[in-house]
Amino acid sequence: MTNRSYLGEFELMLLLAMIHLGEEAYGMPISRELERNRGRSVSIGSVYAALERLEAKGLIVSDLGDPTPQRGGKSKRYFRITKEGMRQVHETRQVLTRMWQALPELKLELR
Amino acid sequence: MRRTAPPPLATWILEHCTAGARDEALTGDLFEGYSSGLSEGWYWRQALSACAVSWSESLRARIPLFVFALIWSIMAPAWRVFTNRIESAPIFDRILPYFGPVWFLPAVTGWLLLNSIFLWTGIFIFILFSGNFSEIIRGKILRRPFFLVSLIFLPIYGAAWVWGCLYWNDLFANTKHATTLLGQIVDLQMLSNVIRMPYFIALAAALWSAASRPIRRPQLLLEDSPPVEYLAQFDSLQCALTQDPHNIKRFFGFTVVAGLVNAMLASILLGRLPELHSPTLSALFVRAILLIVIGVIAGVGGSWLYWKNPSSLFRERSPIPFPLFALVCASGWIWVPSMAVFSDQLSPATAIVAAIGAVFLAAGLRNATFSVFAPVVPDSASYESEEAELFSESLYRAPWEAVGYVITFLLYAGGCALAIRLNLTAAALFALCAFLFVWKRTFVPDHDLDRNHEYRRAALRLACVAIPAVLVTVWALLDGVAHRNHAAEMNAARAARNETASEHTHQKKNSQSSAYSLGGYESLILWPVPEKKQIVPPLTEISLLAPGTTQPLIIPFNGQYWYMQPPHKIPGPTAHQAHGAPLGDEIASINSIPLVMEAHQTLGAAIRIARCREVQVEIENRDNRIGVIVLAVLLTDAASPKNPTLYLGQQSIVSTEPEHFSYKSGSVFETLRFSIPASAKMRRFDEITVMMLPGIEHALVGPKIAIKQFQLFPR
Repeated sequence: MTNRSYLGEFELMLLLAMIHLGEEAYGMPISRELERNRGRSVSIGSVYAALERLEAKGLIVSDLGDPTPQRGGKSKRYFRITKEGMRQVHETRQVLTRMWQALPELKLELR
Repeated sequence: MRRTAPPPLATWILEHCTAGARDEALTGDLFEGYSSGLSEGWYWRQALSACAVSWSESLRARIPLFVFALIWSIMAPAWRVFTNRIESAPIFDRILPYFGPVWFLPAVTGWLLLNSIFLWTGIFIFILFSGNFSEIIRGKILRRPFFLVSLIFLPIYGAAWVWGCLYWNDLFANTKHATTLLGQIVDLQMLSNVIRMPYFIALAAALWSAASRPIRRPQLLLEDSPPVEYLAQFDSLQCALTQDPHNIKRFFGFTVVAGLVNAMLASILLGRLPELHSPTLSALFVRAILLIVIGVIAGVGGSWLYWKNPSSLFRERSPIPFPLFALVCASGWIWVPSMAVFSDQLSPATAIVAAIGAVFLAAGLRNATFSVFAPVVPDSASYESEEAELFSESLYRAPWEAVGYVITFLLYAGGCALAIRLNLTAAALFALCAFLFVWKRTFVPDHDLDRNHEYRRAALRLACVAIPAVLVTVWALLDGVAHRNHAAEMNAARAARNETASEHTHQKKNSQSSAYSLGGYESLILWPVPEKKQIVPPLTEISLLAPGTTQPLIIPFNGQYWYMQPPHKIPGPTAHQAHGAPLGDEIASINSIPLVMEAHQTLGAAIRIARCREVQVEIENRDNRIGVIVLAVLLTDAASPKNPTLYLGQQSIVSTEPEHFSYKSGSVFETLRFSIPASAKMRRFDEITVMMLPGIEHALVGPKIAIKQFQLFPR
């Protein structure tokens, strides 16, 4: 019996950014990806806080990479999505798609 | 000009001022961003924002902790009352003097231990309901808060005490405390909140690190294959695979019965009714909770002894952890005390309570011991249709279950036992019946082997069952008290009738052989008879130090002792009045407000002050607390409209002073002299008041000092 909880907007964006970045998904690229798509700046602290929440829920896992001089000798934390995370992304996408399809008139208004 | 390194102060803030443990990845990301050309302003914004977000997340994750600490600390004033009673026990006054000048060390240690018990209980309950149970039992989370809470509590309580003393007159002097435990809990006045504050802070700080520890389980990555070995980590499966299932089942049953018998023995031996004729509801609740705790501890202890026995099958590897087993069984043992109290009254409710307890025990055990006892699922094969002609007979044959007949037999037998008032037999039969029925009807179809989930479920079941169990126990106690009082009244009435019919001889004969061996009474309550007082003839003006008299006038004390709390100066209209003496009775404050004790001697007639030169007060001292007690004497002219008072000064009682103190096995007599000034504003007095002004050691307990007599010396 698992606890079912839906993804929040920011969490969904993070997961999508991670899927898009693939092997290069760590803090800085994830926040840049979000900034590029949202069009506004993102606090990396908020990104890490949300990533920790997702990790606690078992939707992503992380591991530390090697330290590099470009980062002042600090390591990167790489994030990877789990099967459960991918399942929830798909499920959220299906729900959102169904709900958007049920609102054709709103689509017209937005034009 | 742009620096190559990011602002060091921002980096320091990022590394040292964020909440919780954070790895270097965030700092590295910011360094990378700065190196790629982003501004110092961006770096500062990100560092401060990360700091703020980490604190906000940290606090948000601990909301349940704060709520729990708040709820738990609400009970702190009631606990303080309880500890005050223990602290004022006479045994400590005997023990502490042995420690000499360092007596405060054991005193503070004992005080800290008493308060730590309250805090430890809170920590245990919080972690039980919120933490990772496997880690708790192994002590990984539990040890740190247990040590921390005592360390934190002492300085915070000290600071709160100092602050309270500084602002006592302004904020708390007129605060009145509730006198009942329930009243203490719901008291939301400032003084109570100041008492609660150290407990709240100590709990929150001690549990800070344990509160938000996420439970991370092995996760399946996209490229991983399903980890078959994941399931093999459970001892239950390994145990079931390596040991004889029949032996495991038998030993399980044996352990459950051992715990049950132990809980019953403890409940029967200790399940006494309150001695008071009409106890308060809060007292009954406290007694019910105590009985339940004792019953459960006895049950757990009994099972643990067999579980950890050297010959035990479960000593090395058990199908389920013992704490989980204890939690599950506790929801059944929790009903045993109420059953014991009901059975003491020969009540049929014994059987009902026994059946309820058996239901919870069976349901809990069935779920928790899934891996030991195979799940009972409806046997679909037995319901399948057999080869038979349609309409000629039924499509399927109902399965034959022997246990159904056993349950029916137990039900009928229990009913019969109840009809002939064999309540304990009926209770055993109904309990067995209920246990079998629930055991057979509890299905465990979706079992995910998540140990934490099982712990949480068992704890939740226990918490839900605890409230009705306490209520039923209170009901049993209430019923018992009512039954006892009724029996006593009936017996008293019967005895009175017998007395009027002059059947004393016959009654005495019967009483020797009957169950009521105390002259027809089930029990007796004796009230101490007041001592016979010497009748003092009314004093006259002539006898009171008439001119030419050289002998002192001796007035034995036969007045009242008053016990009050500031700001009251006289006893209130609803003051409780009882016979007793300060030498024997322990009169203590239960609300942390000091007691004021006064002795009042009214004279039969007024005495002229001009004829008296001295008053000697003879006291009898049996107080064994070290500390200063000062005695002040006032003369009052109660006959005058304004009640003028003459203050004669104050003197310390030598036998309680620390430098002259010795433990008193008997009474110590002392005489204190007070001079009366020749010229005073008032001319006469007809009342002598003696005020006891104790030091802080005696502030909460009335001194065990009695006034024996006054001697008035003529001038």
